Amino acid sequence: MHHYVKKTLYVGVPTLSLCFAALTLQAGEPSLIKVGFNGDIRSTEPGVNRDENSDAFIMHIVEGLVAYREDASVGPMLAKDVAISDDGLTYTFTLREGVKFQNGKSLTAEDVKWTWQRYLDPKTQWRCLPEFDGRGVSKILDISVPEPLKVVFRIDQPNGVLLATMSRPDCGGSGIVHPDSVAADGTWIAPIGTGPFTLGQWKQGQYVELNRFKDYTPRAEAKPDGFTGNKQAFVDRVRFVVIPDAASAKAALLSGGVDVLPDVTAMDEAELKNVAGMQVRISPVMTLGGLLFQTRDPLLGDVRIRRAVALSLDYSQMVATLSNGLSAVNNSIIPTTSAYYDATAQKGYPHDLEEARRLLKEAGYHGQPIKLIVNKRYPQMFDMGVLSQAMLQSVGVNIVLETMEWGAQLERYQSGNFQMMAFSYSPRFDAALSYESVTGNKDKEPRKVWDNPKALVLLREAQSESVAQKRQALFDQLHTLMLADVPMVMIYNGTSIGVVKDGIEGYRSWPISKPRLWGVSLAATSK
Amino acid sequence: MSAKRTLQAEPALRAPLRARRAWRYPPLNALIGGGLLLILIGMALLGLVWTPYEPLRLDLLARFQAPSAAHWLGTDEFGRDALSRMMMGARTSLWISLLSVSFAVVAGTLIGMLAGYLRGWTDRVLMMLNDALLAFPGILMALGIMAIIGASQYGIVLALGIAYTPSVVRVVRGSVLSLRELEFVEASRVIGNSEFYTMLRHIAPNCLAPLCVLATSMFGWALLSESALSFLGLGVPPPAATWGSMLAASRPYIASAAWLGIFPGIFISLALLAINLFGDALRDRLDPRMRK
Amino acid sequence: MFRFILHRLGMAVPTLLLISVMVFALIRFIPGDPALLMLGDMADAQSLAQMRSSLGLDHSVVTQYLIWIKSVLSGDLGVSISTRQAVLPLLFERFSVSATIVLVAVALATLIAVPVGLFAAWKQDSAMDLGLVAGATLLLSIPSFWLGLLLLYAFGIKLGWLPVVGYVTFADDPLKAITYLVLPIVTLTLVEFGAIARMARASTIEVLRLDYIAHARAKGLSEGAVLWRHALRNAFAPTWTLVGLILGNLLGGIAVLETVFTLPGVGRLMVDSIFARDYPVLQGCLLLITCIYVFVNLCVDLLYPLFDPRVKL
Repeated sequence: MHHYVKKTLYVGVPTLSLCFAALTLQAGEPSLIKVGFNGDIRSTEPGVNRDENSDAFIMHIVEGLVAYREDASVGPMLAKDVAISDDGLTYTFTLREGVKFQNGKSLTAEDVKWTWQRYLDPKTQWRCLPEFDGRGVSKILDISVPEPLKVVFRIDQPNGVLLATMSRPDCGGSGIVHPDSVAADGTWIAPIGTGPFTLGQWKQGQYVELNRFKDYTPRAEAKPDGFTGNKQAFVDRVRFVVIPDAASAKAALLSGGVDVLPDVTAMDEAELKNVAGMQVRISPVMTLGGLLFQTRDPLLGDVRIRRAVALSLDYSQMVATLSNGLSAVNNSIIPTTSAYYDATAQKGYPHDLEEARRLLKEAGYHGQPIKLIVNKRYPQMFDMGVLSQAMLQSVGVNIVLETMEWGAQLERYQSGNFQMMAFSYSPRFDAALSYESVTGNKDKEPRKVWDNPKALVLLREAQSESVAQKRQALFDQLHTLMLADVPMVMIYNGTSIGVVKDGIEGYRSWPISKPRLWGVSLAATSK
Repeated sequence: MSAKRTLQAEPALRAPLRARRAWRYPPLNALIGGGLLLILIGMALLGLVWTPYEPLRLDLLARFQAPSAAHWLGTDEFGRDALSRMMMGARTSLWISLLSVSFAVVAGTLIGMLAGYLRGWTDRVLMMLNDALLAFPGILMALGIMAIIGASQYGIVLALGIAYTPSVVRVVRGSVLSLRELEFVEASRVIGNSEFYTMLRHIAPNCLAPLCVLATSMFGWALLSESALSFLGLGVPPPAATWGSMLAASRPYIASAAWLGIFPGIFISLALLAINLFGDALRDRLDPRMRK
Repeated sequence: MFRFILHRLGMAVPTLLLISVMVFALIRFIPGDPALLMLGDMADAQSLAQMRSSLGLDHSVVTQYLIWIKSVLSGDLGVSISTRQAVLPLLFERFSVSATIVLVAVALATLIAVPVGLFAAWKQDSAMDLGLVAGATLLLSIPSFWLGLLLLYAFGIKLGWLPVVGYVTFADDPLKAITYLVLPIVTLTLVEFGAIARMARASTIEVLRLDYIAHARAKGLSEGAVLWRHALRNAFAPTWTLVGLILGNLLGGIAVLETVFTLPGVGRLMVDSIFARDYPVLQGCLLLITCIYVFVNLCVDLLYPLFDPRVKL
């Protein structure tokens, strides 16, 4: 090559590259937060083919008419306000103005109607269809659009939990999507919602990403409030990295592979809070952990034996160990974070070994083995069983632990084929829904532990009732009845423990426990 | 004439070509291997009657203690003494391995002899089943068996036993096939012994050599597999301890309490080393071709 | 040779069928089904029935099996119950990860172990030989997942040189992909090295004692030539069998390594699908693993004559 050309190249190329590099650095890398997920999402369709991680993910993309606030009460989201008729059969939602979908179109009442009709179509296989088609508390009779920004739902019976059910994350928050999310033949393409993030890249089995929706129309509030409030996103990209194995997830956090772990165990919390550069964010959640009885079992059908078990457990010690000191004892089905957790709900079982022994003797129990099913997939369930066994030994109750694989235990739970079982219920965000998960007719639903007819009546009333005070009274009655009946022993509510790296601001754990990446930002210098 | 000679030698003939060697000082690998094994077995047996602390006793105030004079191998996430659990683990791990190998040897020998001796359709069908079982992933079998009969020591023994039986069948069948053509077997049949008697008296003892070698290898596989299964969450359920489940349980604490993962791994490696060395020596002794 | 291949493939088919039946039946006898696992504690009878029906689980087991066989024969392995992904592409994707690691590791291990084994056999009973045997035996005795954990801790966490979790495909970013693969490959190589080296040494020792070696030496060939041209060829056969055995079984057993290093491989896919009762994926995995097992055995047998002219197919 010619001498001068060579010289130019030798000088020019490096200089140019340096300039280029400087420019790119100045332009700034898009900010990225990496969050650890313990499994891949199932699909991008809200409330359809979903699991917990899918729910957490989709709630960043779509928004519903109403949503849960930080304290687990229900507040308006896409709706400006909600008006309920006096007879409780008509719900009128007035939509906010100027809300944009992620494809640029504006939100209208027609879109709401279209989305809801799709949800209510059995072909969609929406998870929450049973709650709205008459199998649950009430049935949606029709949805009408009297004005461009007004939607009217008519139901057949008063339903105190309608709005709470609409807000459920496992329903996808009943998120409103634009018709372009679906192809002409009805197959799902991708979610076009109104939320602060849009669907990014999805590398199945490895990670799935969210991109900030630049034209997001936030609510007027100053800050985020649960799944509602001002949900403006501050970070450009969020990547949910799939790390099924908890130990690997922890290793990833420590080595910088992820920035946030939304849900670590209590043991890990004890360790991680002492690690430099890590911060722990804790919140109680609404999962219910306890021991279930089969009241139709020949031995456990005797309430005296069940009551003896309830009186023999040292709850404070058990909960302190199970939650590493992070949770409180709760013998009530109503979670501690619920608005309905009042003085009555705080009443529980006293620790009375004498009385327990007396009851056992009276019932004629002489040491027959009682099988307690546990599993290894959820360590807290297993530990609950181990501790219960040890404590019950002191009053002479002979507990035999039967370890099963989770799938096998679920089968036993579903069919009611067990004597005792250590179990944890997924969270229900309304007290009536919590009671509904354990109460029912055993002939129709063998998995329900409590089939006291009086309880069923009270439950139905609580589900229909919308007035808070009346509901509180019903819940008080339910709790008192349960303490006497002892169909199960509730022990504690779980905690959500999130761990974030220094520099991540605005991330909070909360009673609904799903991770939220809006309102979260990275400090200036970051990877 | 030759028939008469072999007749006289009827009492449990060895296959020819075996030079019976005079007793010599055992080679180094047998000593080291055997010695290590004895130590580990001793540890297991001692654990039956005495451990420094109770292996199952929780002590929530003394969690995650590093190795010290009070706790030679430290404590785990529940405050349990690691050394005591290691001794309990020795007992459980070695016992499970022993049982599963025994199962495989007994079942495999029976099937292998049947297949090898009877040949024909019995052989074909058995070998097809055998090959199918051989290709079947152990994990699925382990999970299947344990999900059906419940997770327990015996579930694992059954799963591993079934998983290793095909290898035994292959080896035994191979031996039987080569042995059945030999003179003394023919002779045994000629003088009127039943097939069964011939199988038992003449063929079986000669399968012993390769079987012994295989059995020692399988013992190592079983130990390893049990650890791997525990690692994946399918092992002996807690609070019982096996080395594998202790190793698996130590994973979340690898950064803060590394000793919890190092010692079980060391013990498993030592046990496998012992088995390998001893197996080598055994093979050298029994298989004349390998000797210099 | 052609007939041999056909014969072996023919023999493989009944085995495959048998395994497919065994797997199909076994996984359905395990209590708990995918519908139940998906709905968890919120499963009322109607939702459960609806979900089971949509998953095709409401037919009898035999019908399900026949439906599955039919679709397999037309090249469709079905759709994952968990992710609704098509099973065949999913399998290939995952398999490429596992295969990369296994093949590279075994190749590396063989390339290093065979010369080492040869050398040790040549210097049999010398200090170096004993040292090599001791080293190989030691490596052989270390559980692969423990070694993996230790390496991960040392290089990933303590030193921070290599990433601890995740995976990047080669197509996306070759350099980064390599960093993710280094630790698992090194772990596997170390573990397999021991077994292969010992086998190479043992079979070489046996060969070196034979007459024709003495003959070659007497002819005046250098030691190197003796080792290389005569001993290696014949000693390699049993080593080759061992390599085949390792390859065939490794894919079934790699699940643990994939768990430690969080790699999206086929071993972990199988374990996950068992726990999630993802029947189509599990059945697909089993089919794949069995096919590979048969294929590897076939290759091993086919390549035998290369190493030992006495062996006729």
